Amino acid sequence: MKPRSLLYPAIGCVILLCTWEIAGRSGAFGKTLPALSQVLRVYGVGPRRALLFRSTAATLGSAAIGYAAGACLGAAVAILAHLVPVLRGGLDRMAVLVNALPVIALGPVLIITAGRQGTPAALASVPVFFLLYTSTAAGLRGASRRLELVFTTLGASRWQRLRKLESVAALPSVLSGMKIAAGSAMIGAIVGEWFGAPAGLGVVVLNSMQNFQIPLLWATVIVIAAITLSSYGVLTLLERAARRRIG
Amino acid sequence: MATLALRGVTRSYLRRTEGRGRQSFAALGPLDVQVGDGEFVALIGPSGCGKSTVLHLLAGLDEPTTGQVQINGQPPRELQTQQALGIAFQEHALLPWRTVEGNLRLPFEVAGRTVSTERIQELIALAGLNGFEHARPAELSGGMRQRVAIARALALQPKLLLLDEPFGALDAVTRRRMNFELERIWLESRPTTVMVTHSVEEAVLLADRVIVLTERPGRVRVDTTVPFARPRPDALMRTPEFHRLADELTASLEPA
Repeated sequence: MKPRSLLYPAIGCVILLCTWEIAGRSGAFGKTLPALSQVLRVYGVGPRRALLFRSTAATLGSAAIGYAAGACLGAAVAILAHLVPVLRGGLDRMAVLVNALPVIALGPVLIITAGRQGTPAALASVPVFFLLYTSTAAGLRGASRRLELVFTTLGASRWQRLRKLESVAALPSVLSGMKIAAGSAMIGAIVGEWFGAPAGLGVVVLNSMQNFQIPLLWATVIVIAAITLSSYGVLTLLERAARRRIG
Repeated sequence: MATLALRGVTRSYLRRTEGRGRQSFAALGPLDVQVGDGEFVALIGPSGCGKSTVLHLLAGLDEPTTGQVQINGQPPRELQTQQALGIAFQEHALLPWRTVEGNLRLPFEVAGRTVSTERIQELIALAGLNGFEHARPAELSGGMRQRVAIARALALQPKLLLLDEPFGALDAVTRRRMNFELERIWLESRPTTVMVTHSVEEAVLLADRVIVLTERPGRVRVDTTVPFARPRPDALMRTPEFHRLADELTASLEPA
């Protein structure tokens, strides 16, 4: 990366953070927008830090389980639809239906079925399933037509074609889906925690809002943003690497 | 090896027409062509005359609307299952994530045959790519990529080799050099070969027989034997005999 392409975003960030600090100190937006320094001080307080660590671990755990389950299921169903064309129309519609369901509306249903503990992971898996289904399906169909013809003339079996051609060609698309799904899993897990989970960042957000612990609320939001942005960043790098290799 | 027979072959497609639903239009034929064992046939003709369709029919990638396509008296799909068919396209037909060596191993993997390192080295040498074993397609020139594609088509020693504009994407100088390379490679095993090309010179230089198709729907307009002995030196291209034949064929490409 060129130094300049890093410089401008860095300047932008510094300006934004300074504006935040000044706006918070001046009290222009009341008590609901504390200064940045006040928010950062939360991380220094022992019990608060312990709370955030515990909550982050709980939310990350739920998000990771939902992410892994949703991704595996989404990709597996997409492969099934690809191998059995008769099923494709129906499965496509089912995926659209899953996506059309507002995650919030599913909460109470999941509380009954998956329990308070399981709801965050279950809610995280729903959008991940949809995203991985569509990106895997598009990726598998995206192999070059010429290469498909080469495999046909070589007398390749359906399985060989999937393994040696289509699944590799689908990788960039799958990683692109996983990149977007990482953020969706976090949203799903946090919303899921609002339905009475015992611990998690979603619980802290809700409690600190209701108890007017404004700096803690902001500090938690920053943790959530950091997790989402870093997972997005890592997966972006992976996707780029795959696109370079696979083209 | 392989003898080919096309008997009364036509191919027509259904096309949506405005207001009148679907209408059938003829893309090819009727076509009657026999190709003998070990013959190298070049297929030329105006754009859209169905040259590539003939190739797809021979590869078993498409079915004739009427008539029969047979290879050694059997339908072309038999050749696919026997893994006795080699095909090379104009471009973009190598696995971009595999090295030269990996691409050359592909036919063996698909056929479930083990392959010795020596055989792979032979193919690399055949393609003239010693030292590029571990290069990926994006790191090669267009001419090198086509040599890999042709070497891959020949990897399983096919009975039938099909070439669809193999050098169509190359510049004139590289193309000329590749023509001589192809003859050298082809002479090693002499499979029955059908090559579709836009270039009359390429056809005359490489083929035992040149078939000119009419405009759509393509039928045989000219079917002529190329009398020059092999291997053909590049001096051949400066002889009056070569030019006379090329001019004749070019003239036959003009609409009647």
